[in-house]
Amino acid sequence: MISPAMTLLIVFVIIPALWIFWLSFQRWDLISGTSDYIGTANFERLLLRDDVFRKAVWQTVYFVAGTVPTSMGLGLFLAVLLNKPMPFRNFLRTVIFTPYVMPIVSTALIFSFIYHPDVGALNAALNVFGLPKVRWLDSPQAIMPAIIIYSVWQHTGYNTVIFLAGLSNLPPELDEAARVDGARAWTRFWRVTWPLLSPTTYFVFLINLVASFKVVQPILIFAGGVGGATSGGGGPDKAAETIGYYLYVQAFSFFHAGYAAAISVVLFLIILAITGLQVGFFSRRVFYR
Amino acid sequence: MNARGWRRVLELLPRYLVLIPFAALFAFPFYWMVVISLGTLQSVFVFPPILYPLMHWENYLTALGLMADPSTGDYLNIPWARYFLNTVIVATGTTGLVLITSVLGGYAFASVPFPGKTLIFGLVLAVYMVPTEVTLVPNFIILAKLNWIDSYEAQIVPFGASVFGIFLMRQFFLGLPKDLWESAQLDGSGHFRFLWLIAAPLARPPIVTIALFNFVASWNAFLWPLIVTNSDSYRPVQVGLQAFSYADATNPVLHAAGSLMVTLPILIMFLLAQRQIIGGIAASGIRG
Repeated sequence: MISPAMTLLIVFVIIPALWIFWLSFQRWDLISGTSDYIGTANFERLLLRDDVFRKAVWQTVYFVAGTVPTSMGLGLFLAVLLNKPMPFRNFLRTVIFTPYVMPIVSTALIFSFIYHPDVGALNAALNVFGLPKVRWLDSPQAIMPAIIIYSVWQHTGYNTVIFLAGLSNLPPELDEAARVDGARAWTRFWRVTWPLLSPTTYFVFLINLVASFKVVQPILIFAGGVGGATSGGGGPDKAAETIGYYLYVQAFSFFHAGYAAAISVVLFLIILAITGLQVGFFSRRVFYR
Repeated sequence: MNARGWRRVLELLPRYLVLIPFAALFAFPFYWMVVISLGTLQSVFVFPPILYPLMHWENYLTALGLMADPSTGDYLNIPWARYFLNTVIVATGTTGLVLITSVLGGYAFASVPFPGKTLIFGLVLAVYMVPTEVTLVPNFIILAKLNWIDSYEAQIVPFGASVFGIFLMRQFFLGLPKDLWESAQLDGSGHFRFLWLIAAPLARPPIVTIALFNFVASWNAFLWPLIVTNSDSYRPVQVGLQAFSYADATNPVLHAAGSLMVTLPILIMFLLAQRQIIGGIAASGIRG
């Protein structure tokens, strides 16, 4: 009974996950299928001599640092506001959540028009406040913030929903007791809600961290053609290059499968380190129960 | 309204004053999609932008290729019907396959004793740590070896087993009362018969959740189909939309119309099933 599921998981997840380690020691052309063993040459080039990869690592960190705290903070803020029986509560929650389940190609297309340097809605809004126009997607300084704004828009609703679930699971008595003792809302939040919510916060943090470290699709849509297709895209001055996107380009624009596998190994190790934290954490939590 | 009602409104007012502008910000891109798709090539290049839709519904006919594009005089030739059909086939196929593997796997892990069960279930959970991005390259090579590049199989089979699905079904079957199975056994029924006639029909809630999640995910799939399809015969609508926006980069009105057509079916489905989808997401967060 488990064989259908196990066959698929072994062929399409477990074997590939192990295979990237072997592939990363090869020079492997994806088109011709020719390969030869080159030892650690891929890693030497990747870690020591590849300026684009170095840029990709930093820009990934930039993306993570810009996206994760913002969408988590905003998600928690909105969840706290929604955590009370009130009219239109479900409606507001649905509106905030909707971006998360919408197709990324269409929403990114609309955002690229909202980011239009001359007639975009975002620059029009800035204009209202007397701020200058920004060339969002074609300046090296602004393209990453633009992609971060898009990702925050896309992800906040997910965080809101998880935080709301976490909040509704908290025992109401403690907050009530603090209220009776005369604690203000701000104090109650930091002294009661925030510590009690920490398992949820930790879970959301790790999920967000993994999702942002492996980001590919928004980069591909916003910056895939920018900077010239032959150069592999990645935005002006490669300012939107990320590890995941570089892996995609090396594999499917340049067909360097071995080199892309080496990038996959690095990305995999990062993700494993993060999920390792998660597993350690959950075994502790299970223990407490 | 009585005094208590008014007090309640006053108490909630600050929340609404913050929540409503945020909700408006989150909804704005969808509104903007509508505004642009109903504008003209002139109206959308005005600064500051016109904030309301101009009701040029014929843009949709143009995007569908039923009317000549007024700016070029040409008919667009985009096989939308084919793209949508491909997406529906892939999304239905993936969802069906995931349901079969999840129900069978989840039931076996919950109720059937077999050697190495704990170890194998641990392996399934470990799979959860492997993001699809990491396995793009070897999976492409495997599909090439199977001769599946540019096919439906390439978009369905690799996603046919879901750790989340197996886990959810296992949790449900673990919660079923043991005497159900014992009395079925007395009637001489085996595991398959019991699963098919009794356990699976009871498992409607998790089955619906798994089906919705997988349908939405495969409707929205972009990166993988972009890699493994190269003809219109198998391209899903997401890849078709992206190809359209690349090929004709000058006409945002038609892009917006295309985007809306691609978004609308999934938006409607989401709104109809939002309780189950949001509930499922929330539950996954609590259980971890």
